[in-house]
Amino acid sequence: MNPTVAAASVLAAALAVGLGAIGPGIGQGNAAGQAVEGIARQPEAEGKIRGTLLLSLAFMEALTIYGLVVALVLLFANPFA
Amino acid sequence: MTSQPAALPSEPDSSMQEYYQLQEELLKVTLILTGVVFVSVWIFYSLNVALNYLLGACTGVVYLRMLARNVAQLGRERKKLGSARLALIIGVIIAASRLDQLQIMPIFLGFLTFKAAVIFYMLRTTILPSSD
Repeated sequence: MNPTVAAASVLAAALAVGLGAIGPGIGQGNAAGQAVEGIARQPEAEGKIRGTLLLSLAFMEALTIYGLVVALVLLFANPFA
Repeated sequence: MTSQPAALPSEPDSSMQEYYQLQEELLKVTLILTGVVFVSVWIFYSLNVALNYLLGACTGVVYLRMLARNVAQLGRERKKLGSARLALIIGVIIAASRLDQLQIMPIFLGFLTFKAAVIFYMLRTTILPSSD
């Protein structure tokens, strides 16, 4: 592989994971914290709150996974190699 | 400033039934979608691509189960969400890039099947709110 392409791919992979994880990380932390606080306030609504949290996390974590897949493809199955 | 939330009881009560029902429904819809798409891909593409899709879909189901278990334990046994489930998709994608028999795109799209089930559930509860 061309050294320039290799270096650019590694940098792009790092940026894809690093930048892609910031937003979902903050969002997941906020959502989980608020959900636990909500359950502590209203224990009778625990099932509903946890269900909503599960659906929210499933959506949020997909954004991290997109970045992860792009990074893994760049590192292990680079189309520009 | 918000105060620290109190520790939650370790025994699940009746309010958790709704959560377990949601889990079961998501799993059921994911499996049905997987079956439909698997047969369609087998017919329109090939068995090899369909098996790749199936591998991705199974990974997605395991991932969803791990996420659901993590959410159920949040505030009881655990104080934060783990990220071990991401290792699952990392392992599968790396295996797909190393082995000639596996392809990345069908596996990745198969993995996203559980997301289609989540969207289906959200749409159903939005359009028919009385049936949730």
